[in-house]
Amino acid sequence: MYMSVAELVDAAKKTKKPIYELVIEQEMDTSHNTREEIWDAMGRNLDIMAASVKKGAEGEGVFSKTGLTGGEAVKIKNYRSDKKTLSGDLMMQAVQNAVATNEVNSSMGVICATPTAGSSGTLPGMLFTLKDRLDLTRDQMIQFLFTAGGFGMVLANNAGIAGATGGCQAEVGSASAMGAAAAVEIAGGTPEQSAEALAMAISNLLGLVCDPVAGLVELPCVKRNAIGVGNALIAADMALAGCTNKIPADEVVAAMDKVGKGLPSTLRETGLGGLAATPTGVRMKEKIFGKSVEAKA
Amino acid sequence: MTVNYKSVFDIIGPIMIGPSSSHTAGACAIGRAANSIFQETPTDIVVHYYESFAQTHKGHGTDYAIISGILGFEPDDSRVPYAIGLARDQGINITFIEEPEDSPINHPNTAIIELSNSKDGKEVTIAGCSIGGGTIEIRGIKMNGFDIKPKGPLPILLVPGSEVDQQNVTDQLSALTKVNEKKQYQSAKGDLFEYDLDRRLKPEEVKELAKNNTNLVYL
Repeated sequence: MYMSVAELVDAAKKTKKPIYELVIEQEMDTSHNTREEIWDAMGRNLDIMAASVKKGAEGEGVFSKTGLTGGEAVKIKNYRSDKKTLSGDLMMQAVQNAVATNEVNSSMGVICATPTAGSSGTLPGMLFTLKDRLDLTRDQMIQFLFTAGGFGMVLANNAGIAGATGGCQAEVGSASAMGAAAAVEIAGGTPEQSAEALAMAISNLLGLVCDPVAGLVELPCVKRNAIGVGNALIAADMALAGCTNKIPADEVVAAMDKVGKGLPSTLRETGLGGLAATPTGVRMKEKIFGKSVEAKA
Repeated sequence: MTVNYKSVFDIIGPIMIGPSSSHTAGACAIGRAANSIFQETPTDIVVHYYESFAQTHKGHGTDYAIISGILGFEPDDSRVPYAIGLARDQGINITFIEEPEDSPINHPNTAIIELSNSKDGKEVTIAGCSIGGGTIEIRGIKMNGFDIKPKGPLPILLVPGSEVDQQNVTDQLSALTKVNEKKQYQSAKGDLFEYDLDRRLKPEEVKELAKNNTNLVYL
């Protein structure tokens, strides 16, 4: 099993195989499933992602039970069609896709965790935007997911992907890094450039805290995926331009692990610090989980 | 290093009902592990939450997720959000307790589940933690007088029976996967062996193992 970014990059260089191919081979080896079974399973994940990107931006959009989040993917969609966006249509398309997916998640709809539910918008946000930008085929989109997943395994086994242990950097940060690395490969970059994109994406979100208002995966989680996908696009473009992170990817991953362990528990998915502890955040919590709500439950 | 994430589908996946992979899909997985161990419908369920689980279980849907797992639902089953009502309709008593102290198994996302059946007196306790992305560890199991303390990462195979009885299990496993660790537990009722496996087994492989060992538990 590939346990570091360096191992994955070295193997890709040595075998002259794309990273997605190495990840598929690793999966065949560990699961004893056939290539076709593995490929089809990833295809089903892709279909779920496509459905959530679409569902969140249709009609009035989707809304969570609490009313804290929802309907904003539709606002972004309308803004894109009515106005001249500041950051360009591609960037806002990515943001729309990411927000749509996470609004579906907050409304207790079906999503594919990538790597987590709270960060489930970042990767589809990236992928369905690149689909249009680079005219990706279905096969290429599935390849993108294997590459992203392979890098994600390295992150998860070395630094973890839970907000409760590592903060949001471990969730949206990991998703952003996976998306950046996979985007570089699908755009024709080298394995080293994928590693640089991953390193830059994490470096830029290092220290991001997990501070959900009322403990709900809504505020600020939905919009954190907007920065996750924006950061992924920027990191991928910088890597493709030849920029390097200077600090190697595996050292960045180790730093993320250490930073996560150093975060106080109030900033690790307890809903006790950060935005959750603001006067408005506390009022929202009391409104949602006040006596009347508990009596109903 | 502990390798918790053994499959690319632990990262791209699972397909699940929102909103939180560790507090919803992971909680469902801990419930499913409890279901696999208990192997019957309980009359009473008591869930103890610690740390992040204690603080945020209401917001994340952890309650219905854990019950849905105990009922044997997959995390993307559309019945997941209604699991508590479905369980109560079957006459199951459910209690959730927010524990103020730190997790006894040393993880912020900890749930300890007690299942019992007042009709036959069967009782088990499962201590699990949700480590992110829907992946879990099981760090404590009390069943049939055994006090099992696994290292945590799945898959785990529990096989009751003496050392001699284990020979066919060992033989079968050697053809399937590396056994990272084999531990023996003793109780008044005999012996039990815990195997920490290197790879997840396919359902048909577990079925084959169960042919000779009807009481085995695969997590």
